Amino acid sequence: MNEPATPVEAPSDDENRPVSNLRQKAMLLLWLWLALMILTVVYLLYARGMFASTQRLTLIAEDAEGVVVGMDMSFAGFSIGRVARIELAEEGNARILIDVPTKDARWLRSSSVFTMERGLVGGTRIRAYSGVRDDPPLEDGAVRPLLRGDALAELPRMTAAAREMLDNLKAMTASDAALMTTLANVQQVTDKLKGPQGGLGVLLGNEDAARQLVERSNALLMRADTLASRLDKLVARADRQLLGEGKGQDGLVADARQSVQQLNGLLSEARGSLQKVDVVLVKAQEIAGNTSEATVDLAALRGEIEVTLRKVDHLVKEINRKWPLARDTEIKLP
Amino acid sequence: MTSVQAFNRCLTSLFKGGDTRPMSLSSLQSAQESRPHGRQRLLVIFRAWQRTLLLAAQIVVLAFSPASYRPAARRQQILAAVYWATAPHLSAFLTLSALISVVLIRIVVASAQSYGLSQYALGLLVRTLVLELIPLYAAMFAAVRYSLPGAHHVRERLADLPASGGSAAEQRLLRDELLPRALAAAFSVQLLATLSGLLALVLAYLMVYGLSPWGLSAYTHSVGQVFTLPVSLIFALKTFFFSLAVAIVPMAASAQRDQRGRYRRSSDILEFARLFSVVLTIEILSLIGNYY
Repeated sequence: MNEPATPVEAPSDDENRPVSNLRQKAMLLLWLWLALMILTVVYLLYARGMFASTQRLTLIAEDAEGVVVGMDMSFAGFSIGRVARIELAEEGNARILIDVPTKDARWLRSSSVFTMERGLVGGTRIRAYSGVRDDPPLEDGAVRPLLRGDALAELPRMTAAAREMLDNLKAMTASDAALMTTLANVQQVTDKLKGPQGGLGVLLGNEDAARQLVERSNALLMRADTLASRLDKLVARADRQLLGEGKGQDGLVADARQSVQQLNGLLSEARGSLQKVDVVLVKAQEIAGNTSEATVDLAALRGEIEVTLRKVDHLVKEINRKWPLARDTEIKLP
Repeated sequence: MTSVQAFNRCLTSLFKGGDTRPMSLSSLQSAQESRPHGRQRLLVIFRAWQRTLLLAAQIVVLAFSPASYRPAARRQQILAAVYWATAPHLSAFLTLSALISVVLIRIVVASAQSYGLSQYALGLLVRTLVLELIPLYAAMFAAVRYSLPGAHHVRERLADLPASGGSAAEQRLLRDELLPRALAAAFSVQLLATLSGLLALVLAYLMVYGLSPWGLSAYTHSVGQVFTLPVSLIFALKTFFFSLAVAIVPMAASAQRDQRGRYRRSSDILEFARLFSVVLTIEILSLIGNYY
């Protein structure tokens, strides 16, 4: 009735085997386990920041939804603090108490801003921003507001805006809305455009005015046609005056051509006269040069004459002094 | 015996917890006819687990009793059991654990990077691998390699006792056979889980940051973020109860008398199923504690 159980190799066979230094080896295992446990506990305590000195920062938020004890506060992507406690303040706000290690507290300034961001993916994040690094460092126990930068919080606002837009759209597309009235008017206009009067009927409003406008337009067109035929005659006459009718009757153009030819001849004659004048001018220039040289000689001559006259004047004065009887002191120059 | 019958017997034993002797096909039908139903069946299951808990309590009391360690020969016996429960399996278990860890770490890290969620990869690894999987398979490994064969040996020894054995002989057996094996199995689970957990942490660091030491601070921070006080407490309690279950459940099942007051041999798969159900219950409770 009893089936034999699955045969299992009993450990007693191994255990009966003699092992050298069994006690030492067993004790070594026990000590190894103890050491590993102590190492693990110490490492975890270190990882939890139990051995680091911290300073306390209190952030006041409207609500602490998504914030859990132990979550990080990051600065430029690095964790510089950890949420230690969350409590409800007397004012109904959430107080988030954060432990910031002293070595990381230097990144926080008195002007630092703290935000809580809640993304569509992932948990809530608390971030710190220090715009002015020269400000004094954040003091221990500081209380700061926690600003919301929430993607999910935007959703209700977006929903409200979308609903408002849909309401407007609905009002616009209602049967008594201005847009629908306009569209109805446009429909009427297009119907009139398709009618016998077409666009004129739309522009002038009634059929008689449109007919009158058409008749006047036709009369105007006839007058314009008459005017155009008279203009044609005028142009033909002008053509005749200008170009002539041939057979010895030259027009203004032929006369102008002859005049131009005569003018060319006059110009060639004038060119020859000018060449002669050039020769005369060259000679006049030579004469002027000679005259200027003569003028230089005249100046020397004048100087000599003046010297001679002064000598003569001196001589006359000498004679007059020596011969006082002479009364006539006038000297006649040559 | 067909596999269906074996499975049926396994389930019956798992929930019944009492007589776990193997049956033939003809005896199975008669047994089904005489099987208790409804309230009576629940009573049988309740009594079986009550006996297991009682024996577990006795082993715990003996473990905390200084008299259990007083003779030097018994201390030597306990140390030998500790050695045989741990040392021969260390290399195999650490190799297996490293292999599983590397595969899981690679999968998690690559998946997280492909989804752009690499900042959550380390936390996820520590939570799944170190907190949940490693204690579980360390317990199963110690159970399969030491505790269940040890329980089989104890049952063989007990089966040699007369059906109306006195309580003194039972006490002696408890102290001489069960206690050293239970302590050794519990220690084995603890040491294997601790070593394997640390190995997984080191492998995770190496696979994420390589041999660079500059990621140590960020890595330590990530690990510390996972091990909050409640999580650490639940992890320690879970590992402790795993080791207790591995130490006691197979031994308690082996030390149970049947209705005729005799110790009978049972299948290892049934004992393993019973142990696994206990371990799974502990795991589920820890998950509820951690995440609900």
